[in-house]
Amino acid sequence: MATKYGAYCGRVIKIDLTKQTWEEYPVSDKDRKKFLGGKILAARILNDFIKGPIDPLGEENVMVITSGPLNGTGCPSSSRFNVSAVSPLTGILTSSNCGGGFAMAMKRAGYDAVIITGKSPNFIYLDITARGVEFKDAEKFRGMLTMDTQKAIGGRGSKLVIGPAGEHLVRYACAVSDDRAAGRGGIGAVMGSKNLKAVVATGTGMLEYYDEERLREIKCKWTEILRSHPLTGEQLPKLGTAALLASMNQKNILATRNFAAGRYEHYRNITGEEMAEKYLIKNKGCLTCPIQCARVVDLDGMTVKGPEVEIMGLMGANILNDNLYDIIKWNYEMDELGMDTISASGTIAFAMELNENKLWDSGLHFGKTDNISQILHEIAFRSTEVGDKLANGSRELMREFGGEDYCIQVKGMELSAYEPRGAVGQGLGYSVSNRGGCHLNAGYEVVVEGLGLTINPYTKHGKAQIAIMFQNLMEAVSAGGNCLFTTYAFFPPFLFRKPNWFLSKAVNGVLPYLGGVLKIANKLPGMLKVNLFTMLPHPVALHAATGMRLTMGDLMKIGARGFNLERSINQRLGITAKDDKLPRRLTDEEQIPGDKRTKVPQAALKKQFYRGRGWDKNGFVKKSTLLYYGIAHLDDIGSRELESEFEHRMKKRRRPARAAKES
Amino acid sequence: MVKVEFFGLYRLNYKMKECEIDAADIMELFRKLNEMNPVYSVKELKNSIVIINDVNFNNLKKYRTKLHDGDNVLIMSPASGG
Repeated sequence: MATKYGAYCGRVIKIDLTKQTWEEYPVSDKDRKKFLGGKILAARILNDFIKGPIDPLGEENVMVITSGPLNGTGCPSSSRFNVSAVSPLTGILTSSNCGGGFAMAMKRAGYDAVIITGKSPNFIYLDITARGVEFKDAEKFRGMLTMDTQKAIGGRGSKLVIGPAGEHLVRYACAVSDDRAAGRGGIGAVMGSKNLKAVVATGTGMLEYYDEERLREIKCKWTEILRSHPLTGEQLPKLGTAALLASMNQKNILATRNFAAGRYEHYRNITGEEMAEKYLIKNKGCLTCPIQCARVVDLDGMTVKGPEVEIMGLMGANILNDNLYDIIKWNYEMDELGMDTISASGTIAFAMELNENKLWDSGLHFGKTDNISQILHEIAFRSTEVGDKLANGSRELMREFGGEDYCIQVKGMELSAYEPRGAVGQGLGYSVSNRGGCHLNAGYEVVVEGLGLTINPYTKHGKAQIAIMFQNLMEAVSAGGNCLFTTYAFFPPFLFRKPNWFLSKAVNGVLPYLGGVLKIANKLPGMLKVNLFTMLPHPVALHAATGMRLTMGDLMKIGARGFNLERSINQRLGITAKDDKLPRRLTDEEQIPGDKRTKVPQAALKKQFYRGRGWDKNGFVKKSTLLYYGIAHLDDIGSRELESEFEHRMKKRRRPARAAKES
Repeated sequence: MVKVEFFGLYRLNYKMKECEIDAADIMELFRKLNEMNPVYSVKELKNSIVIINDVNFNNLKKYRTKLHDGDNVLIMSPASGG
């Protein structure tokens, strides 16, 4: 299949692991224009396969690896690719985003997306090149850690691999590429269940662009915007995401003691500043990224990837540990074993509280850290009863032992390190997020509720509309292949350079009351027919790369289409309004006793959110919403191929008959 | 004496975690910090996030907020990402 658009390869392949065959999947240009790529195109493809609840670890699960059109273009921070499937942790759709070089390698091999179905009869890895797919024996890599596996496979290709956790079907196992991870939702376990140790992509093909000269200009200007922005040009390169920790503590949003509090008295020992002074070797980034937010740190003489803020919070304050060395070590171990650091840490904290309440003695206690490394190993290999139970995540522990009120998960996925009672809009986002308790799919509203900006974190005003706007924006940016940090240019730099200036304070004060304006923009994003390059360069870059004429409104509409499509797939998997729910600790217990504002007003916020999204009171996407976004009647892409083949065969059959008649 | 703690870019650029300074109000504190290390001018320090005993100085009297012996002042830079 070719494409009229630049920056796409025009090919998507479907691999059947059971039969060890592959074929093209006829994604059309109409699909590309409507769903762009990344997680949204993946949802469109999965829409064909997921018709009802399935066993996520069964043969029927389908994994889709998608690139975005900006991958490989050299645009700043444009190396992110997506892996989607039904999650073994949540039972609903998960989309896991990852940096590194895999997206570019996949596109240079000639594929925009790879669909993996079935289950291999033997333990294999896939070698994908322009010639096609080879199914290679991976028995010799069994049990290997993620970095060792990538080294052992060797070659010039880019790899996406699993570690022991994926092989042992730990429900939050991740897939690792370079030193980046497709972390959330258990993609590693899906690969493990398919007897798939790795996917390797190798290629030398070059992409063609719609307007190469214009694209070159845009890349330079865009890079300059990111370099001159206080967040992406200074804070993230110099301190990484870990710099947030002190701010989080200050704003009562640092998850502490399994989310019992929002502050930790020993936070000073586990900050990003502390890491920069004691352990940092250098900062690092993905391909074509000027931000370079990743940390490279020293661990007992080894050079390893440093922890992000989520793990510093969850393996620090949330389990009452103030030893930064331990956090760096566990982060390294979890990456090597191939498991999601957020879900693993959240599950451990929940087990600690279960133990404290004498519901389950796992040997885990708040503040006790000497057995954590051992426990992580036991989880990854499911080698003990405790490890085996922890490997199923906190929701399964709750089902077995109780503790529902303080089991900190939504739809089965553990929350990130942001305590939502100090940022109620983030709390709303967690509860309605499509993949569960994910801070990013939530809309990451905490950025404006105390981290970057300082709007009132406790008010209900405008929060639902802000969540919807950010969700749409991040969906679309992610689908294009960019890192979400490129959206920070959306905020004018003066808000961060001069936070005490009257205009900054005015913006922070007024923003929650712009709900009415945002409501119209969110309801009818297509009306926003402008492009403000300094705020959102993405649609302009997409036009130069692909030839698709897009405005900011069009991009937001694509994002909204993706969010609604994911929700409608989740509906088929059984999700209703009752699943959009935070644990009672966060909605019923005040974070600061006596201060009624410090709990998430979930019911009121959800009502606003549903109305703003065009969902009914049961949380179902209304027919009118599906029609507006053009996803009410989606055909089966796979059957297009079958139809055309059928027609092709019919034509072939008709031809000799007609020839005979004519003669 | 007031205990001043630095976070974010301020800590990296001052190359210190904390210090003790005798200052009557925030404006004087900024002036003394600039004298101690001119890496930040007073004007630049006015753009920092200042927390005095857990309260943002914007909710107090901003630069005119009085300081007392034993007060804890955090000087932070805006941060985001995660």
